[in-house]
Amino acid sequence: VTSESLIEEVSID
Amino acid sequence: MLGEPWTLSPAVALRPEPFGAMAYHFGNRKLTFLKRMELVQVVRGLADHADVRAALVAAGVPEAQWPGYVDALAGLAAADMIRPRTMEGAVA
Repeated sequence: VTSESLIEEVSID
Repeated sequence: MLGEPWTLSPAVALRPEPFGAMAYHFGNRKLTFLKRMELVQVVRGLADHADVRAALVAAGVPEAQWPGYVDALAGLAAADMIRPRTMEGAVA
């Protein structure tokens, strides 16, 4: 379980 | 972070999704996918528990996975999705 497997930030722009 | 009180930022809306939830910050317009239901439970439970550790326990996250969750929470904090809870905020 890593940060990458838990969250994903999206650039709305 | 484990022993600190945190809460969801007031400018953030969490929308349930089949994979977990989508977090949208109305202030900085950042969008983040929470890709595990357990993480959604942790984030929603932050305000209801004394600290992050208690929220992780309440969500049933195995202790071996806590480092990954703390990293994810740090990422959410960097985007202002969650904030340290002040003493005033703790007394709802």
